[in-house]
Amino acid sequence: MAERGGERGAFRRGFGGGGGRSDRGRGRRRGRKEEEEKWVPVTKLGRLVKAGKITSLEQIYLHSLPIKEHQIVDLLVGPSLKDEVMKITPVQKQTRAGQRTRFKAFVVVGDGNGHVGLGVKCSKEVATAIRGAIILAKLSIIPVRRGYWGNKIGKPHTVPCKVTGKCGSVTVRMVPAPRGAGIVAARVPKKVLQFAGIEDVFTSSRGSTKTLGNFVKATFDCLLKTYGFLTPDFWRETRFSKSPFQEYWDLLGKPTKALLLDDVENANA
Amino acid sequence: MEIASVEKLKGLQITPLEDEEEEEEQKAQEIAVDEDDDNDYDEDEEDEEEPVILGFVEKPDHSWSLLRQQFPSKAGGVPAWLDPDNLPSGRSCVCDLCGEPLQFLLQVYAPLVEKESSFHRTVFVFMCLSMNCLLRDQHEQWKRHHEKSSRSVKVYRCQLPRVNAFYSSEPPKGNKSDKPLAPGAPLCNWCGTWKGDKFCSNCKSARYCSQKHQAMHWGAGHKPQCQQLSLSSQLPDSNTCNGGTAAIKVASKSLWPEYEIKNEHESESETEMSEDDAQTNNSLVSKSGMDDSMKSLLDSFEGDCDRKSWASFQERIAKAPEQILRYCRSTKAKPLWPMSSGRPSKADLPKCHYCGSPLCFEFQILPQLLYYFGVKNDMNSLDWASIVVYTCEASCEGVGYKEEFAWVQLSSASPNLP
Repeated sequence: MAERGGERGAFRRGFGGGGGRSDRGRGRRRGRKEEEEKWVPVTKLGRLVKAGKITSLEQIYLHSLPIKEHQIVDLLVGPSLKDEVMKITPVQKQTRAGQRTRFKAFVVVGDGNGHVGLGVKCSKEVATAIRGAIILAKLSIIPVRRGYWGNKIGKPHTVPCKVTGKCGSVTVRMVPAPRGAGIVAARVPKKVLQFAGIEDVFTSSRGSTKTLGNFVKATFDCLLKTYGFLTPDFWRETRFSKSPFQEYWDLLGKPTKALLLDDVENANA
Repeated sequence: MEIASVEKLKGLQITPLEDEEEEEEQKAQEIAVDEDDDNDYDEDEEDEEEPVILGFVEKPDHSWSLLRQQFPSKAGGVPAWLDPDNLPSGRSCVCDLCGEPLQFLLQVYAPLVEKESSFHRTVFVFMCLSMNCLLRDQHEQWKRHHEKSSRSVKVYRCQLPRVNAFYSSEPPKGNKSDKPLAPGAPLCNWCGTWKGDKFCSNCKSARYCSQKHQAMHWGAGHKPQCQQLSLSSQLPDSNTCNGGTAAIKVASKSLWPEYEIKNEHESESETEMSEDDAQTNNSLVSKSGMDDSMKSLLDSFEGDCDRKSWASFQERIAKAPEQILRYCRSTKAKPLWPMSSGRPSKADLPKCHYCGSPLCFEFQILPQLLYYFGVKNDMNSLDWASIVVYTCEASCEGVGYKEEFAWVQLSSASPNLP
């Protein structure tokens, strides 16, 4: 430990005079990979997730807790989360010395099994914009409800009912389809629906679908509503369960996970 | 003002002809200009920032590394008081809201090289364990009349010149043999934090800072030992004046684990230049300018002010995710605020109690510290977004410990999607 004894400055290398030159070797530039592994959570929810007390995103959705750290989603959903850049637009600002271009990236993430997210980020470099958009997309991830067209055989494959979403002038309507129909939609919402894990659906859109922003947001809004639609499965009275913050109180003892996921899993059945 | 004129322009475009399309794009880009202005000003301000020193926690190298004669910066455990005799007492030791004695959070050894009187200078932060008190404290910190406010987070600063009555004028050798010039005032047996000027009435050798701690120690193991201690109380009490070479043993189990704080400059941002991104993304880069719908998309997915400040906070933190402290003592320095709501303006900050000079930002504590302390994650456990400490700009002199100002920002529980 270097010590500067002298007339000026204090004995130990304290804060303020000049930090730096630490024994830890942090000055070395480490690869990005190592930094990503060393996630130190900043929020209470993050600490719970890191401690392993929360095992699935559904527990977070059930209590409408805001997800503020993207590493939470990384840990809970894991490697099945795929991302794709939908569009990168340059936008320009006029300055005295010419034009200053920045890039806006639109990214969709999803695990193909009921979770999608959409993120938008603007930055001076394309790579930074894409990275930032991926993080924002992970933060905005939503659950998507799937159901059956007819017989309840196998896994749910389509939307549970006719739903419609609107943004600006664009309305997107999704209609349940039989197996094997595939996603009958335009190129842009098809990508979003593929990430959502919907296998068959008929869609119909209206309005100025040329505007990519509104079109994507309308499909996203539509997917949001799938869990908002009241069907006979939800007629049973809700058994309210304790939020993850209350659950792990020492006074209450071990929680029962079955209770928490009950409502969510029954809906899919 | 400009919005009205833009709307008038929009009304003019009925059928987009080829000529007008270009104008449309230009005007759309003008709209882009207005929107981006705010973002760009923020970026310009960031470029002029002062260099920040980060603090990281580590287990101490040796059992004696964190004693006061080594002038440590530490978090958790007991404070290593700089001036061991003139400790804060009375109302300064307890939370004003619930009456419990405050618990030691961290101390930062931050000498000022310009002044002789602050050759040694340490800032101590204490807070109450209860989250209820912290929530009430939020109202208190917004009050303007700070002499009468009741806080649950308290900051003390102490400074000494090089030649003083407590430590030698030579630097410590950094080994076990370092000793302070005199043992300090005895401390409480339970918390080891505050002055122990109250005795156990039975054995007269156990010292406590407050009635509450005496009661807790009694229930947690002092009762059987009390009798034995009263018999041996004829001997001079040796446990409190141990010459300062060994760490003091405290009875409380609720103290936070002890760490040493090591400091480092914030490294330059690792701008990993996109190697070949230009080639791969050319197909996706479209030439059309931005239009209104994209703006609406941006509004909902880029976020409002709170989320933007959270996003930039996270980006900054991501360069060194383990940091718990950001130090930058300067009038121009701005703390890295996690939220946009709950920031103090100049008028909210008081002046120094003692000399009347304005306060300046010194350092801020980040919530990663809670992770290292292993704080539980219940409804009522401690959680903050940032604690920002402001100290006297002139670092006024005086004996003992001077109270400084802390601003706590709690995380807002707003949902993500609108």
